[in-house]
Amino acid sequence: MSISTFMGLQTSLRGLVAQQRALDATSHNISNASTTGYSRQEAQMQATDALLDRPAGMLGTGVDVVGYARIRDSFLDLQYRAQSMQLGYGTTRTDSLEQVELRLAEPGDNGIAARLNSFWSSWSDLANAPESGAARGALIADARTLASSINALDDGFETVSAQAAQQLSLLTATGGELQGIAREFAGLNGAIRDAQHVGAQPNDLMDRRDMLLDKLSSLAQVTVADDGAGSISVTLGGAAAPLIDGSTVNWPAPAMPNPGGKIGALMDAASPTGTIATYRSELGAFAQSLTTKVNAIYNPAAGTNFFAYDAATATLSLDPGVTPATVRAGAGAPGDNSAALALSELSNEPGGVNDSYAQLVTRIGTEVADAKRTATNANALSNSIEDRRQSTAGVSLDEEMTNLIRFQRGYQAAARAMTTTDSMLDTLINRTGRVGL
Amino acid sequence: MITRGIVTDLNDIATRVSHTQQKLASGKELTRPSDDPFATGRAIGLRTELAGLEQYQRNVDDAEAWTSVTENKLSTMTDIVHSARELLVRGSTGTTSVGDRKIIADEIDGLIAAAKDTANATYAGRSLFAGTATATKPYGAASDAYLGDAGDVVRSIGPGVSVIVNARGSDMLGNGADGKLLNTLRDISAHLRGGSAADIAALGGSDLVGMDRSLDNVLNVRAQVGSTASRLEAANNRLAEIEEGVRGLLSKVEDADMAATMIEYSMQQSVYQSALRAGAGIVQASLLDFLR
Repeated sequence: MSISTFMGLQTSLRGLVAQQRALDATSHNISNASTTGYSRQEAQMQATDALLDRPAGMLGTGVDVVGYARIRDSFLDLQYRAQSMQLGYGTTRTDSLEQVELRLAEPGDNGIAARLNSFWSSWSDLANAPESGAARGALIADARTLASSINALDDGFETVSAQAAQQLSLLTATGGELQGIAREFAGLNGAIRDAQHVGAQPNDLMDRRDMLLDKLSSLAQVTVADDGAGSISVTLGGAAAPLIDGSTVNWPAPAMPNPGGKIGALMDAASPTGTIATYRSELGAFAQSLTTKVNAIYNPAAGTNFFAYDAATATLSLDPGVTPATVRAGAGAPGDNSAALALSELSNEPGGVNDSYAQLVTRIGTEVADAKRTATNANALSNSIEDRRQSTAGVSLDEEMTNLIRFQRGYQAAARAMTTTDSMLDTLINRTGRVGL
Repeated sequence: MITRGIVTDLNDIATRVSHTQQKLASGKELTRPSDDPFATGRAIGLRTELAGLEQYQRNVDDAEAWTSVTENKLSTMTDIVHSARELLVRGSTGTTSVGDRKIIADEIDGLIAAAKDTANATYAGRSLFAGTATATKPYGAASDAYLGDAGDVVRSIGPGVSVIVNARGSDMLGNGADGKLLNTLRDISAHLRGGSAADIAALGGSDLVGMDRSLDNVLNVRAQVGSTASRLEAANNRLAEIEEGVRGLLSKVEDADMAATMIEYSMQQSVYQSALRAGAGIVQASLLDFLR
């Protein structure tokens, strides 16, 4: 079989077209240089099938673009998602715990420690002047302030917890962010499967889906399963059933035994057995022990309790029988200050109420510092993984400009090859066989 | 990628600068418990200790006021006892006439009233010598019975340390017929008025002994109150010293080291500025600048 005279034209044309596609892919990259979640694409070129040119051998026939590859490292994606979950958990936990910490107002002159100190001082002042109406009035005022600041702190903790519950419901309720992401994800699953079915590779849809997966991973722990036909099913927080199964969304979301991420942190903050709840119960135990210890000394002397603590509503209040007129410093004569003295000594009791409050503050401080550290570490790690991911998938304008030049020159060279073939054909067609004309 | 890195680093430095600025503005190393949980726990403990020390100093001040008024009254009481003893000595000599003895007896009666008045002294509306029955005057005009109680007026002057600041009237003036001052003076007055040989003998004998015993009682009480006063003074000095120490510790735990923080601040600022400059330089350079 002889080879067509016009083959050179075809070969050049293939070259022109291929370089043009490569230029198109490059300009797509440049256009998306700042698109979040975009992965760099590359036109994959392959030499077309050769022609048999006996006896010389195989003659190349040019080039074809066989696909547009999406440059992405899925291993880095996995690493990124693990850190993203840690980061989501750490920052959300830090946010709510920092609010708890701010409400403590320690160390300072406005916290409960200061109120407690002035409460003990008031007993001591009363011991110095057991008959004095002013000292009684001051004691009652200090006791009320102490009780109300303990109650206010508990209310503050409750508010932080309630805010977390509200955020959680905004996130996970029907119509919330999670359902929105899941729906879009399922839609993309369907579109990608359909496109792959007809042999196309929907790179930009896959980028969008990966970005949603990144978002999901900051919300909760994500487990993915690729069905090989273009769909990815997603299970959140170690649930028994997947949230997104192909192009369907299981809603309401299956229960997450081990959520992690932002949802995990919010669930912990909102839960009646979570971190903030343990702070509340520790504060309650502190108020209870304050009540018990004060009453144990005050009641025998005065015949009534001093404090009343209602564990159900977590409210500390003064016994109704305690008023500036009735409060007593001791059981005996007007000058007896034995009870007031013993009460003021409670401030020095080792392992007493002051210590248990200081322990609560230290514990909260330690846990906030821990949460901050976790968030900072996860941030640093996810940044460095994101850097590595970007170095693969990200668009480098320098590289794209170089490619632009490369493909432009390739196009020019292919055009020149075509011109050369053309002038060769011109010689053959228009100037050959004209001898003697 | 470079741009993201620069932004992250700049944010990082800005956060640190703002934290240092917070320290400078508040003058505190600890602005919240998570800055240093252990130090926060310690600061709370030290603040409690400090509040306690301030309270103990107030207690000591109150106790000192109480003892100084008591000492003052006791000195008056000593004068009364001395006068009574002089009168007794004058009345017990055989040369004193019956009329003179009667005059002396009247004077002794006056001293009894004065002793009771002194024992009924109050400080800030509280009876000094009535034990804890501070609302009651220890001696009434009609009888010599002690109307106060045996309670101690106690002031707390340190953790677990308390002192008794009061002196009871019953220890000096007595309670009815118990051989103490009032009883002795009443006897003397009766003997002076009686004028029999036995009475005169008693004046120079048992009455003088009783008088000396009463003087001893008053002086003993004075000595006790005096030693309490010096104990209080020592406590005051000690508390002030400890307070100074605890304040120093608290400041070490809580307060920022201004010089070091200032240096840290200016260092961070210059780092921030050079990071900004470097960032601006890197972001501008691109292959695009060099292509036609």
